[in-house]
Amino acid sequence: MTFGEIVHLVINEQNLFIFFSTVAILSALGVVLNLSNTVYAALSLVVSMLALAGLFVMLNAEFVGVLQVMIYAGAIVVLFLFVVMLLNLRGGEMAADRQPFLKLVGAGIVIAATVKLTSLLGAARSNPSGIQKDWMPVGPEFGSVRDIGLVLYTDYLLLFQVSGILLLAGIVAAVILAKQKVD
Amino acid sequence: METSVLEFTAPELHFGTISPLLTVALGAVLLPIIEAYLSRRKSFLSRPVTRVWIGFMLSFISTIFLAIALMLTLGKLSVPQAEVAFNAAHPMIAMDGTAHFLIATILLSAIMTILVSGRYLADVGANYGEYYALVLASVLGMMLLAASTNMIMLFVSLELMSIPIYALAGFRRLSVRSNESAMKYFIIGSFASGLMLYGMALLYGATGSVGLAEIGTKFDPESVLHLLGAGLLLIGLTFKIAAVPFHQWAPDVYEGAPTTVSGFMATAVKVAAFGALFRVLSLALQPGIESLYGALWVIAALSMTVGNVMAMIQRNVKRMLAYSSIAHAGYLLIGLIVPGSGGYSAIMFYLLVYTFMTIGAFTVISVLAKDHEDKDQIDDLAGLSVLRPFLAFVMAVCMFSLAGIPPFAGFMAKFQLFKAAIQASTELGDSSLLWLAIIGVLNSAVSLYYYLRIPVVMYMRDPEREADPDSMAGFERLVLFVCAAAVFVLGIFPHDVFVIFWDVDVIAVVSEAARSMLP
Repeated sequence: MTFGEIVHLVINEQNLFIFFSTVAILSALGVVLNLSNTVYAALSLVVSMLALAGLFVMLNAEFVGVLQVMIYAGAIVVLFLFVVMLLNLRGGEMAADRQPFLKLVGAGIVIAATVKLTSLLGAARSNPSGIQKDWMPVGPEFGSVRDIGLVLYTDYLLLFQVSGILLLAGIVAAVILAKQKVD
Repeated sequence: METSVLEFTAPELHFGTISPLLTVALGAVLLPIIEAYLSRRKSFLSRPVTRVWIGFMLSFISTIFLAIALMLTLGKLSVPQAEVAFNAAHPMIAMDGTAHFLIATILLSAIMTILVSGRYLADVGANYGEYYALVLASVLGMMLLAASTNMIMLFVSLELMSIPIYALAGFRRLSVRSNESAMKYFIIGSFASGLMLYGMALLYGATGSVGLAEIGTKFDPESVLHLLGAGLLLIGLTFKIAAVPFHQWAPDVYEGAPTTVSGFMATAVKVAAFGALFRVLSLALQPGIESLYGALWVIAALSMTVGNVMAMIQRNVKRMLAYSSIAHAGYLLIGLIVPGSGGYSAIMFYLLVYTFMTIGAFTVISVLAKDHEDKDQIDDLAGLSVLRPFLAFVMAVCMFSLAGIPPFAGFMAKFQLFKAAIQASTELGDSSLLWLAIIGVLNSAVSLYYYLRIPVVMYMRDPEREADPDSMAGFERLVLFVCAAAVFVLGIFPHDVFVIFWDVDVIAVVSEAARSMLP
């Protein structure tokens, strides 16, 4: 058995899926259960997002995966961290606010989602090809960076450029409102 | 996967079609760079660089960009050609007569706003060069919004229009009112954007397309999903025109924002949002217009009534003008539910006239600002005819016109609008439009009370303070003169307006423009 074969035995699609899924679920639990320190909770959210990005890449949706890392793991969690640090939350204050009613609602939603998901998985098993007739067919490259780039630079060219100006205007607007110096 | 060679067919692009957009976009991108360059220089062409001078230069440059765009637009409007789409395979915008007319109105409003901003901003201590870049970016968004025929373009251009205006509303950073104004507008505006996006998502989910015309072919007025999407989309747009019941933000925002920005918000935003409403209603929601008719009727009647009644009890001129703009949104909505192109052309004429009279009124208030403070209480205007006769005259003309008294343009505009509604109601034998016109006429009578109070205070009360030194800049005089002259000319000879070299029949231009949009 060569080294390459051993590597392939360990790092194959199924194992990667199991790895990313486990990390995603464990770190998601970490977000919810980490009541004592909200910074840790936000950081485990990053880990969860990164694991999800890995799952997206495995599904041939590289673009969504990259966006997941850039926008969610990058920008949004940093925003969360800013808020957490600015508000200077202590663990106990958060836990005291929890109300039993909200807990019940939360538990209900989780149970309902689990039941629905299980039934969907059952349906997928009975129809292993997973293809329904009225779904829109997509090419093998669908969702790849190349396809999205092509669409952005041909069909949606005008929109793409306008979005660029929108971002510029947003930055200028933010800078003018947040400038420290008042003169 | 063999994707190393990128093979694709390049789209065929016609940049001439969007030349006004490109001009404004270039301005919006270049102005921050020019501002950064100028503010790092000690002297430029052997002149010392001061903040006021930078502001003047930037307003000059941005006016040039806008004026070029206006010339290009008017050229396209005066010589109607067969329409060429920018990207025919995926048309996101339609640069037809309607779009060109609305774009010209938006550009006029922006040019007048920029010309009167320089001195006012310096006066209230908010002389930052970014102002002009933000105005241009917002104008680009408005131009696209007035022309967009695609939901994605509609949303992106709506945001491009709104985000700079959120910042402009808070431009007086040391004023609590201005900050409150920006915050309120931002939160409520984001909420409206969210609702609108949700409506778009529902429409996309229900019809499977984002193009407004394609949605129109698949729209099913029986389905709850379709109607819910259409309703949410319309709520987003009626937020922007401040129609009742989505109007609560307008008085606070207009009052707190810098006065020149309030004038810009009251006019250009409304013009662009009505452009979007035209297309959404005539392309996408045409099959469902019967189901939406009742809702739009109620919104129009409520806007007119609530706007006018609330305006009567205001003591602040900017708040009063905000409620008046709500009432005018109500009048304009009448034209929107009149079938055919008659209502649309009446709206377009009204929007042009409304731009001149509203910018004129807000400019008078901005000129009165003194010592970092707005003088915007109605009592501040006491005896203005003695202190500043020219300002009092322009304000009086604008008020008479807003009230709709002949021979001013406001009368002509209201006449066109009510005429379209009454004609349609007799043709269709449907009395609901007639009732809407009657509500409109009654409301115009109510509005006389608060519009005429201002000339009364200006001309019949004695001044309560000494005359200020006349600090008006030449540009402000020019804009005020243009507004007053336009209100007279559009009111007396709308068929024969003399613009520098050309005789223009504005009524013919708007009806031509309105027809060009309808399929």
